[in-house]
Amino acid sequence: MAASISGYTFSSVCYHSANSNSDHEGFLLGEVRQEETLSISDSHIGSSEFLNVIEVHNHEPCTQLFSFYDYAGNVNEENLNRILKDRRKNVIGWYRFRRNTQQQMSFREQVIHKQLTHILGIPDLVFLLFSFISTANSSTHALEYVLFRPNRNKYNQRISLSIPNLGNTSQQEYKVSSVPNTSKNYTSVIKEHGTEFFDKDGVMKDIRAIFQVYSALQERVQAVCCEVDQSERVKEKIQEEVNKLKEEITLRKRNSAEEERRLQEAAAVMLPDNSALPDSSHSSLTQVVLSGPSVEPSLERPVNSSSPPIYSTTLPPDSPSAILLPRPQAVGSPGHPSPSLGLGNGDGSSSDSLNRQATGQEDQEDDDEDSSEYENLVSEQLQPPSLTETVLLGRPATLWPDGDAHSPPGS
Amino acid sequence: MNSLSPEVALSRISPELRPLLCSVVRDGRVGLDSSSCLRITDLKSGCTSLMPGPCCDRFKLHIPYAGETLKWDIIFNAIDPELPPDFIFGEDADFLPEPSELAHLVSWDAGKPECLLQLVKELLQQYHLYQCQRLRDSSRLLFEYGSLLEDPNYGHSMEIYAGRKNSWTGEFSARFLLKLPVDFSNIPVYLLKDTALDPGEDVALLSVSFEDAEATQVFPKLYLSPSIEHALGGSSALHIPAFPSGGCLIDYVPQVCQLLTNKVQYVIQGYHKRREYIAAFLSHFGMGVVEYDAVGFTKLTLLLMWKDFCFLVHVDLPLYFPRDQPTLTFQSIYHFTSSGQLYSQVQKSYPYSPRWDGNEMAKRANVYISNTGLEKSQPQSHFKTSFPQFFLRFQFFSRFLNGDYLEDEQLRKLVNAKIPLANFNALTNNKKSFVTVFINLY
Repeated sequence: MAASISGYTFSSVCYHSANSNSDHEGFLLGEVRQEETLSISDSHIGSSEFLNVIEVHNHEPCTQLFSFYDYAGNVNEENLNRILKDRRKNVIGWYRFRRNTQQQMSFREQVIHKQLTHILGIPDLVFLLFSFISTANSSTHALEYVLFRPNRNKYNQRISLSIPNLGNTSQQEYKVSSVPNTSKNYTSVIKEHGTEFFDKDGVMKDIRAIFQVYSALQERVQAVCCEVDQSERVKEKIQEEVNKLKEEITLRKRNSAEEERRLQEAAAVMLPDNSALPDSSHSSLTQVVLSGPSVEPSLERPVNSSSPPIYSTTLPPDSPSAILLPRPQAVGSPGHPSPSLGLGNGDGSSSDSLNRQATGQEDQEDDDEDSSEYENLVSEQLQPPSLTETVLLGRPATLWPDGDAHSPPGS
Repeated sequence: MNSLSPEVALSRISPELRPLLCSVVRDGRVGLDSSSCLRITDLKSGCTSLMPGPCCDRFKLHIPYAGETLKWDIIFNAIDPELPPDFIFGEDADFLPEPSELAHLVSWDAGKPECLLQLVKELLQQYHLYQCQRLRDSSRLLFEYGSLLEDPNYGHSMEIYAGRKNSWTGEFSARFLLKLPVDFSNIPVYLLKDTALDPGEDVALLSVSFEDAEATQVFPKLYLSPSIEHALGGSSALHIPAFPSGGCLIDYVPQVCQLLTNKVQYVIQGYHKRREYIAAFLSHFGMGVVEYDAVGFTKLTLLLMWKDFCFLVHVDLPLYFPRDQPTLTFQSIYHFTSSGQLYSQVQKSYPYSPRWDGNEMAKRANVYISNTGLEKSQPQSHFKTSFPQFFLRFQFFSRFLNGDYLEDEQLRKLVNAKIPLANFNALTNNKKSFVTVFINLY
């Protein structure tokens, strides 16, 4: 439990007390509110703490001692009501000022406190004790104050009373307290001039205007969202059409290539001796070449649309063909690295890398996509020369990024 | 602040409150231990410092209770002196008496000077009840309290202090202070006269401290008011038995009470016996009485003569006469010791029996004192026992110095026999002074 009292209320109480020539007492008016603090930390999910805060807004001094109780300490309710009038429901405690005494509740104060708790119906009534200690030669006076909560068990009876802004405000922020202003003059002025700032519901006009701006912005954003959504859909449709057309192109190419192969095979049957190897190499070339373009779109597609399944579906038919290709470069022949072999190697390597990437992509998509994109870009750069190579069959390519110097199977 | 003398306290307090404080300070005896009265310290004022004159209206009152001292703050208001005071009960923060039980608070009348004192007494009663309630923590001590409460002798004059439980060991201690119902009224007044201050009421208080709840460590102590202590022969004379382990107060307290009563009875009887003794001696020795203690009957001095030799006999009667034998001191009126004192010889062992009455004792003493002529022929044998005979020799010698017995064979023998002492030298040297003294004594 915490308590706070505004600076002006505190000084007012002190003023009344210090000016009295005997002990002084009165009532504290205010309110009790409950603060809930939710704290989230790494160690536990969250915990909420409840704190009762007592705020003292005002005080009602009694003009003389024994004004609402008798010698035995019995509280007289009529006198009490006469003192408090209509502020009885705001009472949260009472205070007493004594000079040169101990900071402890006295016998009568305890008796009265019990009765007040019962009569006012406040279970947590507090008692503020001021003691004014003076030295013998009146050179030093100390005003000490303690806030008691006597209705609890005796071990935690004292509450710390804080006075906001009583301190070094240059280093601390000047706190604005939530104490409502109960002054009558203030309320009348606000009523008079309030209509310029407040609308009929009591809400400030500026707030409403800002709120309107905000809602307008929200609407626009919503509209833009819809547009984006639509455009995205259109784009998607177009993309699909593009993909379809590409597929048709490759299909047509394949068909034409097959036809050419058949024609060549027919021609090769007629000349079996000379061109066995080259034929086989050519056939391997064509095979390789044929496998090349089928690989290329698969290489291209991952760049445009990030869909790993396309990757993996195209790979298996390619890789076995790459693996099954003979490696004629083992037979030494100078100077002409077979472009197809290089390509095949490139393919093989690229397919290997594709293989690797296909497995790798399951783990970390981002990195591998980037690396795969890079490799794809690299292989894209490869591709135009390979495309030209497929057009110009038989011309050896001298240099491949792989750096492999492969001798052609035979010139 | 140190304790203030009553006058200082009264001078500093606000004039309207002065009568109330006066009765507290001057007549304030509350509780059983009325020998130590209420003290006032820490006089402070509740008015502003601009207020002139004595205006103190709050102070700390020290109250003896059950062997402890309670320090209660009493708070008045000098501006409204007719209002009743407020109290802070020191460390006993739990003590909250019911205001309706305090008659002098409910109907406080500042015009009556003894109102504050009565209120303090009522508060003390409530405090006693509060302490008794705290005994509930220990069933054994509660039993002790209950059993004592039932006994009408002790039930109403009891103070109990139930100490705080020791937070380390969890121990509980208590102290019972009981007023013993012993009648001291018959003690002769002379015995009680020795204190300079007003001795107050004569009380005997028994304090029993229980250091633990199971009553295994019990320390009893007897407190007597100073006059009673003196009358009974000092603090060393009175030893109370130790508290029996496993015993209880309801058995032990009457035991101590009885012991004390017996002692008192003995002292009273002794007084009467002494009186009887002295009366008998007076009647026996009549004209030979020099002086006697007519108040306490402890001393008697006789001047006796035996064959022209005069000597003094001092009789000292002890406190526990007739159990203890009186001391007879024989003193010569003619002779000095080397230190300048009159020569005297103390006799403690002579025929005596405590069962004789006064007359009998006087007769026997007479016989003993004058028992000298029987053994005249053998002076040396009775030298130490027969005082007069011893000094008969001196008498002879003095006559010899004066001119008589110049050729006495016996005397010459005596002189050579080296009988004490420096007396002879004293005689020869101070012949004149001796003669003068001799005349004065007569």
